[in-house]
Amino acid sequence: MVGPILEVVDVHFAYPDGTQALAGMSLTIERGSKVVFLGPNGAGKTTLFLQLNGILRPSQGVVRFDGNDLRYDRRSLMELRKNVGIVFQDPDSQIFSASVLQDISFGPFNLGMSEEEVRGRVQGALAAVGIESIADRPTHFLSLGQKKRVAIAGVLAMEPQVIIFDEPTSSLDPKTAKQLLILLDDISRDGKTVVISTHDVDIAYSWADRVYVLESGRVADAGTPQEIFLDEAMLERVDLTQPWIVDVWRELRDNGYLPPNALLPRTKSALLALIRSRLCHSFRITDLVSERAAINERG
Amino acid sequence: MIHIDQYAYANRLRAVHPGEKLAFAAITAGICLASPSLIGQLAILMTMAAATVAIVGIPWRFYLKLMLVPAAFLLAGIVTVAVSFSSQPDPGLHGIDLWGFAVGIRDRDFVVASSLVARSLGTVSCLYFLSLSTPMVEIIGVLKRCRVPAVLVELMTIIYRFIFVLMETTRQIHTAQVSRLGYHSLSASYRDLGQLTSCLFHRSMLKSQMLFVTLSSRCYSGEIRVLEPRRRLSLRRGLLIGGIDAVLLAVALATRGWQRW
Repeated sequence: MVGPILEVVDVHFAYPDGTQALAGMSLTIERGSKVVFLGPNGAGKTTLFLQLNGILRPSQGVVRFDGNDLRYDRRSLMELRKNVGIVFQDPDSQIFSASVLQDISFGPFNLGMSEEEVRGRVQGALAAVGIESIADRPTHFLSLGQKKRVAIAGVLAMEPQVIIFDEPTSSLDPKTAKQLLILLDDISRDGKTVVISTHDVDIAYSWADRVYVLESGRVADAGTPQEIFLDEAMLERVDLTQPWIVDVWRELRDNGYLPPNALLPRTKSALLALIRSRLCHSFRITDLVSERAAINERG
Repeated sequence: MIHIDQYAYANRLRAVHPGEKLAFAAITAGICLASPSLIGQLAILMTMAAATVAIVGIPWRFYLKLMLVPAAFLLAGIVTVAVSFSSQPDPGLHGIDLWGFAVGIRDRDFVVASSLVARSLGTVSCLYFLSLSTPMVEIIGVLKRCRVPAVLVELMTIIYRFIFVLMETTRQIHTAQVSRLGYHSLSASYRDLGQLTSCLFHRSMLKSQMLFVTLSSRCYSGEIRVLEPRRRLSLRRGLLIGGIDAVLLAVALATRGWQRW
C-alpha cells in the first residue's frame, strides 16, 4: 500500500474577492504518511485543504485522489469526502449539534448507514479519541480541547483514509496539545494518512514524515524534517526558526562535543540519549566532588 | 439560560423518556389554558412547582427567581387590564380620587386580571417543568418523531447550538469594547451597542458560511440525520401522568362556578 494517495498538480485558485490563494501549487501526499504543512497565515494552507476535500475547485490544474482526477459531480464528491476528512481549526464552526452523540453520528448517517452501524461507528470514534465519559454532555459546556476531540471523532466516525487537521494544536495548553499529538499518532498507526498544518516547528520536526513549506500559494520547499530544518537559508527566507533540537545538536556538534558525523536526532529523548552517551567518555563533576569529600573525611 | 440548560442535563428525571415529560407538560399546559377556573389554574401552578422542585430536583430559590422573570412582564400587563380611570364618580370603581379622576379597580377587571396571572404562571410552570428536566436536543428529537417537518427540526437544532456560540461571541466583543473604555457614557453606550450588533451580524454570517463548508466536508446533502438517545417509555409513569392530569382537569371543571365576587 505505497504510492501517492493525493496529488496536487499546478493548482491555481483565487477567491471571489481577487485574493490569489494558490498560485501553481504542486505536491504529493504518500499513502499512510504523516505530512506537515508549514507556512505563514495566508500562505494557502486552508485553501489547499479545501481543495483536497472538493469544497473548492481549482481554476487551473488538477487534484488527484488515488490516482484519479477529482470530479465535481455530487456522487464523486460524496465518495471523495468519505475518504478525505477535514478537522477544522475552530471546533465551534464544525460542531452543529448541542449533543456530542448527535454531532458524531452526522457523518456516518450521510454515508447511508443503518442506525445500528452508526451506533457502532460513534462508539468506536468516542473510544478512539477517549471521550466516552463526555458523550452525554452538551457541546457548549465542553472545554476547547474536548470540543476538538468531538470534532475529530465526528470525522473519524466516517473512517476516511486521509484525515486533515487544520492547526490542531492552536490555542491549546501544552498538556492538551501533547495529548492531541499522541492521538494523531494513534490515528496514523491505524494506517490512515494524517495531514496537519501548524506554526510550531518543533511539532513539525519531531512528528512529520514529510514537511511542506508553503509561501504565497506555492510550495517553497519539501522534504524530510531533517532536510527541511537543516536548510538555514530557506528557513530564513520564509521566516521560520529552527526546531530547538536542531539548534542544540548543531551547537554541540560545531563545538566538538559531538562527532562531526553524529546523526541528527528526531526527538528530545533521542537527543538526551546522545548527549548522555557522550558524557560517559568524560569524567563527571559530581564524581569529582564526591571523591574530594571522601578524601576530606579520611584526612 | 445557561443555568436552565445545566439543570436540563443534570436532574433527577434525566433518564426519563423525553416524550413522557413533553406530554405531561403539554397536556397540563393545555388544561391550564382551557381551564375556566382560577382554582384549577392555581392547582396546576402548585402541582407543577412541586413536581419541579421535589421531583426534578431544582433548588426552590432558583425556581422562584425563574418565576419572577415572567412575573415582571405580567405585572406590566395586568396593570393595564385591572386599573381603570374615570372622570365621573363611579361606585363600581374601588380606588382613590386623584384630581377629580377616579382611579381604581372594577370587580370584573379584578377577576379577569387574577385569572390572567394564574393562567400565565400556571402555563409557565409547565414550560419550566419541561425545560428544567429535558435537554432541548431531546425535545427536538420527540418533535421529529411526531413528524414535525424536517426543515423546522433542523433549524431548531442549529439555532439552539448557535445561541451558545453567539452568546460567547457577544461576550468576547463586549469584553473587547469595555477593556477600551466602551460604554462609558450614555451616548457611547448607544454607539458601542450598535457596533456590537453589526459586528455580531457580520460574524454570524461568516459562521453560517463556515458551517455550510464544514457540514459539506462531512458529506452533507441537504438532510441532517442524527442519533437519538434511547430511552424507555414506562407504562407506570404514563399512568401517573394520566392520573395527575385527570385530577387537575377534574379540579378545573368542579370549581368552574366558584368565582362570583
